[in-house]
Amino acid sequence: MTSPASAANRQLVPGRRLRLPSRNFLRFLGRRLAALVLLGLGITFVAFVLTELVPGDPAAANLGQRAIGDPAAVRAFREHYGLDKPLPIQYGLYLQHLASGDLGESEQSHRPVRTDLSEFVPATAELALTSILIALALGITLGVIAAVRRNTLTDQVLRVISLGGISMPTFWLGLVALYVFFFQLGWVPGSSRLDPGLLPAHHVTGLYTIDALLAGQLDVFGDALHHLILPACVLAAYNVGLLTRFTRSSVLEVINNDYVQAARAKGLPERTVILRHVLRAALPPIITVGGLAFANVMTGTVLVESIFSWPGIGQYAFHSATTLDLPAIMGVSLFVAVVYIVVNFLVDVLYGVVDPRIRVT
Amino acid sequence: MFAARRTRRSVTLSAVLGAFIAVTACASGNNPPAANHVLVVDKSFDMKTADPQREFEVSGGIVAKALYSTLLTFKGADSATPVPSVAKSYTASSDAKTYTFKLRTDIKFSDGTTLTSADVVFSFNRLINIKGNPSFLLADVTVSAPDASTVVLTSKEANPAIPFIIPNPALGIVNSKVVKAHGGTDQPGADKADQAQSFLDGQSEGTGPYTLKSFSTTSEVDLVANPSYWGPKPYYSTVVIRNIQAPAQLINIQKGTDEVALDLSPDQASTLSGAGSVQVKAIPGPNVFFLFSNNNSQISSITPNKHFQNAIRYGLDYQSFVQLAGAGAIQTPGVVPSMFLGALSQADAVKRDLTKAKAELAASGISNPTVNLGFPSDFTLNGLSFSTLAQKVQANLQEVGIKVNLTGSPISVSLADYRAGKEQLGLWLWGPDYPDPNDYLVFLPGQLVGLRAGWAAGADPSLESLGTQAGSTTNNTERGQLFQKIQRQLNTEGPFFPLIQPGQVVAASKGVTGADYNPTWTIDVAGVGG
Repeated sequence: MTSPASAANRQLVPGRRLRLPSRNFLRFLGRRLAALVLLGLGITFVAFVLTELVPGDPAAANLGQRAIGDPAAVRAFREHYGLDKPLPIQYGLYLQHLASGDLGESEQSHRPVRTDLSEFVPATAELALTSILIALALGITLGVIAAVRRNTLTDQVLRVISLGGISMPTFWLGLVALYVFFFQLGWVPGSSRLDPGLLPAHHVTGLYTIDALLAGQLDVFGDALHHLILPACVLAAYNVGLLTRFTRSSVLEVINNDYVQAARAKGLPERTVILRHVLRAALPPIITVGGLAFANVMTGTVLVESIFSWPGIGQYAFHSATTLDLPAIMGVSLFVAVVYIVVNFLVDVLYGVVDPRIRVT
Repeated sequence: MFAARRTRRSVTLSAVLGAFIAVTACASGNNPPAANHVLVVDKSFDMKTADPQREFEVSGGIVAKALYSTLLTFKGADSATPVPSVAKSYTASSDAKTYTFKLRTDIKFSDGTTLTSADVVFSFNRLINIKGNPSFLLADVTVSAPDASTVVLTSKEANPAIPFIIPNPALGIVNSKVVKAHGGTDQPGADKADQAQSFLDGQSEGTGPYTLKSFSTTSEVDLVANPSYWGPKPYYSTVVIRNIQAPAQLINIQKGTDEVALDLSPDQASTLSGAGSVQVKAIPGPNVFFLFSNNNSQISSITPNKHFQNAIRYGLDYQSFVQLAGAGAIQTPGVVPSMFLGALSQADAVKRDLTKAKAELAASGISNPTVNLGFPSDFTLNGLSFSTLAQKVQANLQEVGIKVNLTGSPISVSLADYRAGKEQLGLWLWGPDYPDPNDYLVFLPGQLVGLRAGWAAGADPSLESLGTQAGSTTNNTERGQLFQKIQRQLNTEGPFFPLIQPGQVVAASKGVTGADYNPTWTIDVAGVGG
């Protein structure tokens, strides 16, 4: 019988990692891509139908109080956005355009939805990535410490901290953090992505920190990073709590397994036992939670974005929904679907990396 | 060995932290200092474009006002007296149908081209033919240019409001040659053919006090002083208008990082009363919040009843609405806001009289009436939530004996019902499109808002005739009196119940001058001094 530890050790043998993707893996990838297309279609259909079921009128929601009384302006609006056509034709046209990568034009911004997304998504992605990195680093570390020192004072304190992170409403935490760390202490800048008057580096990725580094603008990089810290920490608070609890229970499940005892009996230092044998075996559920946490953060930052005046996808989605901006709603829905599918895919791949038993099956 | 590794890690961690602090400190050192000549304005963005002929949002108006000159303008907070700008003078025909503007000849665009009447004609026709939100400003108006320094506006109907419409930033004058070269057109069909918006979002082509340095609909708009501006040089050489939500605006203005905050609610402003470093102006804003009782018997058999309407009129506790709205708010005595020509005085305001209200309800012959009140449940303006106002209406009318069901819904839904005239009772607002009482003729039978309250044309011939007369009278004194007469009549027999003008708050750092609210463009950043 092969223990997970020895299987994991085998992975460390040089040369094994460079194998070409197997046929199974390619089939798996193909299935995921097909699911992405089908899910995308389903999402567009559901978003389209639900938006049409709302008894509102996009023209009324988007035209001004006077323009809505002007039949020429209303006609021009309806023609421009294809709202004068029957619903099946509207949906068919949307799909036709979607096939060529055209997500339509936003009724609120009057710009292509793709352009809007390319501006809003990186802002959220930068915030979400920073936040999830903070959450993973802190959550896993604290979870391991809590498990190793279970039922001690340290464990109790960490339990209180993690429950606090999970139960504190984000909007409240955001406002308090802004008040304390910006207004009172002045450690961090207040809101938005850069100081007033400081322009971002040339748009390559849309992530201000990365673009600034690529352009060699260290001042912009530092400023962007400085602006990121507080909202990212606020956004991470919930996930730190969540990951701490999950890591603790996951580590406790394996910490007394035979192979762990065997590793200890071989005289391996406790740190090595925990990091190489216990944590690795405990990782799959943590990866699942981490993946879902990342997807949640990518798609659910509206409150933090609002408090920190962060121009991200959350605010865009909110405004799209309140103005019945169908192309934007569809664009955001597709984005959310893609995020979840890609994250799930990456989680599945990571399972295989950390646990060879899963890869074999 | 373990200790050595831990030390190495500590050193590495310290190095990373040190690098982070150094980099962020370096960033802070390189930022433009909060110098006297950089003005930072916080505004919650509704920004769509910097194209003057397409913008009609609050944020867009601030930007267009700074970038583009108009034929006429207003001074500071005033919106009652149009004064010369690009036009050095103008004359109006006695029938208020023809307006002739004589232009200055010393105004140049940044490419050195002199501004001429052709640019005005192009800009105005582009506005009309784009068929966008601001196009109605020049509805039924034709524009011509007999010579290079004369522009003539001819209105199909008498329109004494034209001099009050012209200062709107949407009528900012663009460099026609350059805009045409970048896909702009002023011809019929411009709603489809005009392609200049993206160009004008990247670069301004006007003769205003500022030029566009950078434009983002999501984060900030940066303006720099126009070196060839023909008017008085603005105090601030750089203006940054940032997209900041109200709670963060409050913190920024207290902290002193930003100079002006435009979206504070009266409640938030009241927290600044002890802050010595901030000055707060809370004045009655131009938005009129009103209630209506639908006159269309197909919508309700109850709400068209005149006695029932009077029961509402005298049953509402107007002062409680004013208190709810907070600093700067007033009861609006009529539909025309207090700062415009033709506004009623506070003495004309309807007062609560519960006895009279109950008597009117008894006279209506309707026992235990139940009606639905539509309103935008998710909408808040000037810090005032429509849901809270609706609850107040419900409580007030319950005292009269009228049961009100609150049927508010998100604005995207409720707006459609309101605009289709389907609400029994409705709680809404009217914001000025231009600072002239003609903008309030919409409340009359057969007009835009009148129809939303089920008040069809012909329902009140005397009022409609007064409206026609007021809308075309050229003498302002006479016009003001006519509008007052209309409103007094509306207050006795109309289906509308004007409630309040909520306070408009502008907070600025101590020492900042000229941060005055103007209903046409919110704030003129070129007029702000230090």
